[in-house]
Amino acid sequence: MTKTKPQEEALFDAARNLASPAARRAFLDQACTDDPGLRAKVEALLAAEAEAEKFFNDAALSVVLTASGSQEAAVKIGPPGAEAEDGITEVSGTRIGRYKLLQRIGEGSGGVVYMAEQEEPVRRRVALKIIKLGMDTRSVIARFEAERQALAMMDHPNIARVLDAGATDTGRPYFVMELVRGVKITDYCDKNQLDTRRRLDLFIQICQAIQHAHQKGIIHRDIKPSNILVTLHDGVPVPKVIDFGIAKATEMRLTDKTFFTAYEQIIGTPAYMSPEQAEMSGLDIDTRSDIYSLGVLLYELLTGRTPFDPKKLLQHGLDEMRRTLREQEPQRPSTMLTTLQGKELTKTAEHRQAEPPKLISLLRGDLDWIVMKALEKDRRRRYETANGLAMDINRYLNHEPVVARPPSRFYRFQKLVRRNQVIFTATGAVAVALIIGLGTSTRLFFMEKAARQRAVAAERQQARLRQEAEQAEAREAELRRQAETREKITQATVLVSQDKFDEADALISGVSLTQPTVEGAAVVRSLGEWHALQNQWQPAADRFTLLLQIDQLDGWDISTLDYLECGSILIELGDMAGYERFRQAIIAHVADAVYPFTDRIIKISLLRPADEKMLKALEPLAEEAGKSFATNVNADGDVFLAAWRSVSLGLMEYRRGDYTKAAAWCRRCLDYSEYNAPRAATARVILAMACQQLGQPDEARSELAQGRKIIEDKFQSGLNRGTGVQGFWFDWLFGRILLGEATALIEGTPQVIHPQ
Amino acid sequence: MPHEITSEITQVLQAISSGDGRASEELLPLVYNELRRLAAARMAEEAAGQTLQATALVHEAWLRMVGDGDRTWQNRAHFFGAAAEAMRRILVENARRKSRLKRGGGQIRLDIEELDLVATTPDDKILLMDEALEQLQAEDAEKARIVVLKFFGGLTNQEVAESLGVTERTVERQWAYAKAWLFQRIRAQF
Repeated sequence: MTKTKPQEEALFDAARNLASPAARRAFLDQACTDDPGLRAKVEALLAAEAEAEKFFNDAALSVVLTASGSQEAAVKIGPPGAEAEDGITEVSGTRIGRYKLLQRIGEGSGGVVYMAEQEEPVRRRVALKIIKLGMDTRSVIARFEAERQALAMMDHPNIARVLDAGATDTGRPYFVMELVRGVKITDYCDKNQLDTRRRLDLFIQICQAIQHAHQKGIIHRDIKPSNILVTLHDGVPVPKVIDFGIAKATEMRLTDKTFFTAYEQIIGTPAYMSPEQAEMSGLDIDTRSDIYSLGVLLYELLTGRTPFDPKKLLQHGLDEMRRTLREQEPQRPSTMLTTLQGKELTKTAEHRQAEPPKLISLLRGDLDWIVMKALEKDRRRRYETANGLAMDINRYLNHEPVVARPPSRFYRFQKLVRRNQVIFTATGAVAVALIIGLGTSTRLFFMEKAARQRAVAAERQQARLRQEAEQAEAREAELRRQAETREKITQATVLVSQDKFDEADALISGVSLTQPTVEGAAVVRSLGEWHALQNQWQPAADRFTLLLQIDQLDGWDISTLDYLECGSILIELGDMAGYERFRQAIIAHVADAVYPFTDRIIKISLLRPADEKMLKALEPLAEEAGKSFATNVNADGDVFLAAWRSVSLGLMEYRRGDYTKAAAWCRRCLDYSEYNAPRAATARVILAMACQQLGQPDEARSELAQGRKIIEDKFQSGLNRGTGVQGFWFDWLFGRILLGEATALIEGTPQVIHPQ
Repeated sequence: MPHEITSEITQVLQAISSGDGRASEELLPLVYNELRRLAAARMAEEAAGQTLQATALVHEAWLRMVGDGDRTWQNRAHFFGAAAEAMRRILVENARRKSRLKRGGGQIRLDIEELDLVATTPDDKILLMDEALEQLQAEDAEKARIVVLKFFGGLTNQEVAESLGVTERTVERQWAYAKAWLFQRIRAQF
């Protein structure tokens, strides 16, 4: 073997300098014709090269000595055995503060956990976790103190309370928690062969616990199976979430320089980390990060796997891990199961008391979508609250339609035309009783009172720590406010789904939205519509104004329809100044950009006569609408949208004063096969006006009469929300406004038609 | 820096220059101790969380132990060889110790944390590297030497080339081969 090595090495070197795989193959074909063994060796080396490069790059970085934690011992001078000093081998009987260590009960990436005894003010057993990572103990404790009040407010049967924190004699931070004698949730479920339904029941309880914490402004930040222990109370399994507040307190300011200090801690749970946590900007974590981790937990409870294999996440280095978490879509739970090896799949199914095919079909559909919604990369698209997630699972369990939807090819378009919103389809009560916890339960821990006073007194002596604490508190107040807003949105979503619009409206009024939210936009929109359909134009206009603000925070695609709603309502309200401001704002917004549905912008901006400047500004949009029209309409056969575009272009030409072209576009619209009543009426009304201007009064009157008949019939039979195919309420409103203008022009009498 | 160590190092280096084979063996413990002492001193000065690159340590040790006084490439090469090897030992010992602690030291443990994550922590990587490097040493000592200098000593290709008296291209070629070779062995252990 040693003899062939120089040859192997030379071939490897030559081949790896050939850039293309084809060239390498050709080279090896020639060089190893009579020695397949050699060729295999060289190919194996070449195959290992790229991965080796990554491995060595990462490993090389780890040759860093840090002035921290357990690595300290490596550079400590002293006799052998001095290692015990590093504080992670405390033995039973050791006293730490008021606590006597009894037994070591566990160890993880973050620290070592002991069962300990507290002697005063009450004798009880607690869990004491000593943080292993060497970090600035003072700031860890300061951060903990800052959150202490909030932590004390948590009082939930599924949350293990965090009682105390301090520093050991060796300067390590420790945390004292309610002692939970339990088993990691995934182990419990598998050992007891819990079926999917019972797993979901446990999971819902966890969501409710997390929700409770979120309402107190506490984010867990490290939700994973080992932080959720299941204990039995009279034979009933009760999940308990442990370690609240610890991830926050031990969080490090991560920079590239300090990254490897925290490597182990981070690597501890990459599979459960949300993309924004993986980015480690460290500043922008909110409750929706926990929603993501809950999604991973649910994924694992259902399939036995995490969405991304933790080993694979680690294999290709940190940047690659971040990229995966940020960009790669995980497989749906049901798909994941189909990729498992036969034996593994059988075992997974057995643990859930199911046959493999049944388990797969059980997950396919609603449960897939629920999990995927929680795992959205963009946190705005996740469930707003843990409660929202729990509610959707309850809907699934009660065979009601779920909020989560498959992100199909038409997802964006569907969202646009809003055919899919469960808030309009869900009937019947939603089974979950909402925990409305705003401003309730400020119970403090009496047992901790004395300890807290001592800690606060000590804290006062240190201005630096106080300042840090204050900043943290301000941040928490903001988080609490955001959590309350989300909670209100979730509640309002439920109320809307139960047709309790007045209650939802009362709840949402006064809420200021500073973050984009899909659910929030949906609620505000439906409340605006609710007002509009009752002819309550002022509140409707208010809601839609708010909606446009939310849309500005988000993307563009929802807002073109929202413009149609808002613009029509402002005119209906008679707020012409408001309408003028509105359309000026749109024009400013769309300047120099190409958007889908430019025809809608044209249409809503020209609902009233416009000046030269406005028409000029709309010209590029009209051109765009005309272009898409010329290229697409025949190719994709979407005559429905093409007909709408024709109306817009007709209106554009009419406002410009080119009545011949206007009439042509309207006739073209009327020629299309897929009929839509408000569109046809609108086309006829514009056509009528164009004819009048062209000196064809007979045709004008005929078209006007036909258009008016359609519109009057509709308003007499009563306006409803409508659909994209039949026409929405605002399409009718649009037609009626133009009808008023046409009547004034042709018959000389302004005429406004009102329902009934 | 205690004066006697400086002079001891200088003496050893001079002995090596004059062809005393045993002197090489004496160099390692000296450099080893100095690196640890230096690191500990630096740790005490710096705030927690600061990091020290191994390569920076080696270079600093060179300056402090030998200073500008000895510019002989011969000596420098020996020194860096010893320093890289010393760094390897420090890191491997450290990783072993931590890995021992991790396994609980005979204590009762409850399985409340993820265990599979231990597999590719940096410490384990170092231990795996070290093991694979032993194998490479047996097969091809020259390549193993390059790996020690590059990986543990943090030397550039140019520095390695000068230390070993070969061309840079040779270093580049051997390092590439060694990496792929080592990685194959390491991967086999996962």
